Amino acid sequence: MGLFLVVFQTSVLDLFFMGRIGVELSLVLVIYAGFRMNVLHGALLSFLLGFFLDCMMGSISGLFTLLYVCIFFISVLISIRVYAEQMSLIMIFTFLCALFEGLMIVLFYKVMYDISMFGNVIRVFLPQALVVSVLSPLFFKLFNYFEVLFHDGNPQPAKRS
Amino acid sequence: MFPYKYLTIIIASVLILTALIMISYNAKQASETGFMRKLVLETAWPLENLTNRSLKAIKESWDRYLFLIGLEEENRRLKKKNDLLASQLFRYQEGYLEALRLRKILKIKEQLNTVPVVADVIDREQSSVFKSILIDKGTAHGLKVGFPVLDDKGIVGRITECSWHVSRVMLIMDENSNVAALLQGSRIHGVLQGAGASGCRLKYIPKNEEVKIGDAVISSGLGGIFPKGVILGVVAAVDKKEGGLFQRIDVQPSVDFGKLEEILVLILQKDHNH
Repeated sequence: MGLFLVVFQTSVLDLFFMGRIGVELSLVLVIYAGFRMNVLHGALLSFLLGFFLDCMMGSISGLFTLLYVCIFFISVLISIRVYAEQMSLIMIFTFLCALFEGLMIVLFYKVMYDISMFGNVIRVFLPQALVVSVLSPLFFKLFNYFEVLFHDGNPQPAKRS
Repeated sequence: MFPYKYLTIIIASVLILTALIMISYNAKQASETGFMRKLVLETAWPLENLTNRSLKAIKESWDRYLFLIGLEEENRRLKKKNDLLASQLFRYQEGYLEALRLRKILKIKEQLNTVPVVADVIDREQSSVFKSILIDKGTAHGLKVGFPVLDDKGIVGRITECSWHVSRVMLIMDENSNVAALLQGSRIHGVLQGAGASGCRLKYIPKNEEVKIGDAVISSGLGGIFPKGVILGVVAAVDKKEGGLFQRIDVQPSVDFGKLEEILVLILQKDHNH
């Protein structure tokens, strides 16, 4: 399912947004996993999603894997401290995570290969972060629906502090 | 059992470490594609293929839909253009036909020894008895009551009313119309009288004269109104059985009064000289 999600986001959503803005559905799923799922399942799902994304996007193996695992654990930490059902929190947090991911990618390429991609932060990553954050509550509802569907109608509730 | 906090830290550490190892391994050496990566790509390929095919089909349908919309738009535009061109063509055809008619009238004008006036038919009075037309010329153009009216096919009638810019022409098929005529072949003189819807009747032709269907009836020039030798019509029926001295001769006028558009009014020489 994770692989299908990645394939869907790299082909269908890319086409939907005419290849200009990538809507990272998998990132929202990682955040959702951090907020709602248990640590082991969520971490493994994030790891796999990251790895699939590495494979599908042709980036260095481990880059998205690492980022997704990090984002997952940050989400877990956040969900422990705040009530993660609020739509505004989901949107803001998704926006920050998407921006963080973009910045990390830019830094990684600068450090490892001395390739400057800082222009992409404003041109690509910021619009992407905005779009994905706006859509994130909708995707949360969607993931929740699938979770109910696959887990006998018992989704994980949001963690409370 | 491990406390939850430690489990989280252990899982995080293991996964982050694994990811870092993967990065360091792949970043430093351009090694061949790893097994796991190959596995993912091989698994994703059918999915991608399926997705792309579906997307392609949807895109093609959408393009076709857009094409059809465009086609409809173009069709509408071409129809409009076609209507415009058809109306232009119609106008040009009208102009051409008018020119042909005027050329014929001009030909007659050249043949006649009078000063003709070309007029347009503006109305028709086609009751069962009275057969007349209105033309757009009147006394202001030199017309007077009694002037003969012709078209390229023969004699039309004569002016019976004349205003400044409009005149009424009594057609030769009006029952009040009488024109001095003769049969072209036998040169027998008679009077062509209007007979309403059934055309005209040639009167005063004795029964002993041989008249055939199809014989041409022309103006005799007597009376000084119509010029001599202009066609009036052809004999359509002959009946000698009627009582009296004369035979009954039905004449089909040569002019199609229903199609009259431009006519020629002959200004009689004596009036012109005045």
